[in-house]
Amino acid sequence: MHTQTDTPLPTKLPNIKASSKNRRIQDTLIKGLLLAIALLSASFIILIAVFVTTRGIIPFITDNNQLGRVDVVGFLTGRVWLGGATFISTAYGAGYLIVNTLYVVFLSLLVSFPVGVLTALFIAKIAPAALSHAMRTIVELLASIPSIVYGLVAAGVFLPWIHSLARAMGTQSSGGNSTFAVVIVLAMMSLPTITAVSEVAIRSVDKNLEHASLALGASPTQTHFKVVLAAAKSGIFAGAILAVGRALGEATAVSLVAGSSRSGPNLGLFDITATITSTMLEGMKETSGIDYDIRFSLGVLLMAVILITNFLLNFIKRKVGKIHV
Amino acid sequence: MENKPIFTIDNLTVTYGQTVALENINLTVNRHAVTALIGPSGCGKSTFIRCLNRMNDLIPDCHVDGCICLGDEPCHHEDYDVISLRKRVGMVFQKPNPFPMTIFDNVAYGPRCQGIKNKAVLRDIVENALKQAALHDEVKDRLDTSALELSGGQQQRLCIARALAMEPEVLLMDEPTSALDPIATQKIENLISDLKKRYSIIIVTHSMQQAARISDYTAFFYMGKLIEYGKTDLIFSLPKHKQTEDYITGRFG
Amino acid sequence: MYKKRNMLDGLAKGFTYLGALTATFFLGIILYFIMANGLGRFNLALLTSDYHAQYFNGRPLRFEACETCERPDDLSDDILYAPQYGLGLSDTRDRGGNTVIQVTYMHPDSPLHNLVNTNNLNQPVTIAIDTVITRISYTDHPTSLTRRGAASMISDLESGATIYEVSFSTVGGGIRGSLITTLILIGLTLAMVMPLGIATAIYLCELAPINRVTSTLRSLIETLTGVPSIIYGLLGISVFVPLTIRLNLTRGPSLIAGAMTLTVILLPVVIRTTEEALKTIPKDYRLASLALGANTTQTVGKVVLPNAIPGIMTAVFLAIGRIIGESAALIFVLGTAVKDQVRIQENSTSLAVHIWSMMTDEPANIELSSTIALLILIVVLILNIGVKLTVHQLKRKTG
Repeated sequence: MHTQTDTPLPTKLPNIKASSKNRRIQDTLIKGLLLAIALLSASFIILIAVFVTTRGIIPFITDNNQLGRVDVVGFLTGRVWLGGATFISTAYGAGYLIVNTLYVVFLSLLVSFPVGVLTALFIAKIAPAALSHAMRTIVELLASIPSIVYGLVAAGVFLPWIHSLARAMGTQSSGGNSTFAVVIVLAMMSLPTITAVSEVAIRSVDKNLEHASLALGASPTQTHFKVVLAAAKSGIFAGAILAVGRALGEATAVSLVAGSSRSGPNLGLFDITATITSTMLEGMKETSGIDYDIRFSLGVLLMAVILITNFLLNFIKRKVGKIHV
Repeated sequence: MENKPIFTIDNLTVTYGQTVALENINLTVNRHAVTALIGPSGCGKSTFIRCLNRMNDLIPDCHVDGCICLGDEPCHHEDYDVISLRKRVGMVFQKPNPFPMTIFDNVAYGPRCQGIKNKAVLRDIVENALKQAALHDEVKDRLDTSALELSGGQQQRLCIARALAMEPEVLLMDEPTSALDPIATQKIENLISDLKKRYSIIIVTHSMQQAARISDYTAFFYMGKLIEYGKTDLIFSLPKHKQTEDYITGRFG
Repeated sequence: MYKKRNMLDGLAKGFTYLGALTATFFLGIILYFIMANGLGRFNLALLTSDYHAQYFNGRPLRFEACETCERPDDLSDDILYAPQYGLGLSDTRDRGGNTVIQVTYMHPDSPLHNLVNTNNLNQPVTIAIDTVITRISYTDHPTSLTRRGAASMISDLESGATIYEVSFSTVGGGIRGSLITTLILIGLTLAMVMPLGIATAIYLCELAPINRVTSTLRSLIETLTGVPSIIYGLLGISVFVPLTIRLNLTRGPSLIAGAMTLTVILLPVVIRTTEEALKTIPKDYRLASLALGANTTQTVGKVVLPNAIPGIMTAVFLAIGRIIGESAALIFVLGTAVKDQVRIQENSTSLAVHIWSMMTDEPANIELSSTIALLILIVVLILNIGVKLTVHQLKRKTG
């Protein structure tokens, strides 16, 4: 495909050589330009890593205009976040934010994973054709709704519900802003991802396996649940990993229902909470100083949490993929 | 009982939409014998074998006419429970297709689907089936490892063990050795000869030599019709039809 | 035994129905909520009017009652009417949900058409339909206030009092500024991301040698897809905002920096979609072109690209959808202050950020947020259909 066809062809056209040379120059120029653009496209991830990290470590290595250096260990394990109110460097403890973030994502997966996989099985195997088509459209629509709309609906619908529920159960909630609300909104947003990836995985299961199961006297439903899901396991797991990555990074929808807790960890379902991302969206007024830079530190922390979670989940996936249970 | 045929097929016609795949087949399959189905590709022998455990039910526009009796019972009947039919008629496929589970779970799959949960019972069933399939000695120490780590021949014997765990009366085999090397094929053929004491075996094969080596009866299909059926030695030594003779001597086409 | 198994099978099947029902319920609740709260306010005026209300104090130049302003026969009974001033008023609620008195009818001869600005008597101001009246003071009568309601204001007007000054405001709560911002962002971003993305895709798919450098490039670009959008926001404020300031284009967060950030967010999407389109083009086309003596550039320009247009259209649709929905990154790079006069070198809000801005205000404006959300959903739906149609066309073409 990359062969140059610039060797003069045996032809009677008079200026074939000159034209051939021009075209070769044109080719080289354009190839160079395209390479440069490709390099630019690839450089953005490096740009992100370098700039976010260098800004993110400023609070830990400078004295932040006499406010004092932020202690890394304190940042990673701290249980209080007082940004904006009191400019003291010891008040930035993001440890509880890490716990909160992982906690809400884990709980949301408890909802979205079973619902998503069952929906995918329904679409791929169980539903009649028309219903399956309709369900797939519904999942596609859910996938295309922007996160801010999820946040709005959660704030408008679920907050009042959760507030009444909390009252009915004899506890208090801050207008419904709670771990519960964050879990619901994240579950809703993860659902289409898990469903779509699982459906593809389920569809690509070898028909022979299904036939083998049916030939052994298993019912179609037994076949779907025991053989098809087992065979699609690694694809389904990949969908869950994708969903977890997105849920960890989700910001706006979460920030509308979290309730910006200043200390934690917040493990109660009806307690207000805060995640790494929701805290990053707070106090947007500052444009310099520690309160501004610390947001980059949270960004670095978020990327680290996502990378480590991803790595661990992929590790588990490989382990689980080997042992067929 | 012993002399009664296991399958009696009367006037079987199978159509896929407009295409006729099998036309007016009449055949009786004998108990405790190996019956080989031979014929060129697309002659309907796979369709035939799939009628016997009603795998054709899975194809939406497949239509089956005529009567198939398992023993005395017409089994291609709306009222006949397809699951209990498949319990009695096991099947082994062309390509080894173990489930992505452990060896033990593969063999225990069928019984478990029937609701057997007792561990000791399952262990006995699995051990017995693996022994019958001549696989037990090779895998007895690693029943908890994935079935996908076995070699192709071992996988196919596992699939046979999986079918045997259901204690079927009939074992259908759809070209079970076509994906295997000669040594693995040899092992499976020996196994088939052992198994016919307890089971009635119907095997689809592309290899005339294989049919001659292992089968007691041979049926030759051509273009959706049953051309000739009889004792294997007779078919191979004194074929009655010209088409049969051409096919088994390789002069086909 | 079969009974038990059938029951278990039924139960298992039931669970999948339950899962599907849950997904449907989620979508249903979103659509219901957005429609119920947003549909009522959804009209053209919303799209064309300002968000921030403008306040005026006007007074009539001449103090005379209208002789000819009789109540028209076809005027709705809901409208309270003051014939002396030719003014029809109603109690309504504004887009923020507060009770206000709004002008719902004005007689053509009404003297209130011609007012002058109290603070600058040379500047004419006018009351029009939909104007919100906040206060009317008189030279010879106590002032009428909004909280007493339209009926009280009408009876004050009818008492024969002479108007000294009318305080009124435009309705506000429109989304013209955010809409324009979003459109500009779409235009700017597409203008940057499409050439970059298509060029990169062409390089990777048509020209790049198969070696370690190329696969490194690929994985670097692929990594961008896993980065959460809030991190792109950090990229924007740490790189693009300072860059545009350095270039003397802006003085802070701006639409330009926003479009640059969106460009990086969308790059992997555009590259992947374009690459997929390029891959569907049969190799024979390229070989045929090359065999005819065309060089690689000509082959790409004349044979490969034209055939990739449906795929590139898909990329455009996907990009527009993502731009409209993007919030987290833009909150950083674009700011959260809603603007009516949009300039690309200044901060503003896109529709999605507008929602966030209102939802984080006290009290949250759920009604207007839902209206914007409805607009976003309609556009996203249309884009989805667009993607489906182009994919469909692509499939038909490639058989």
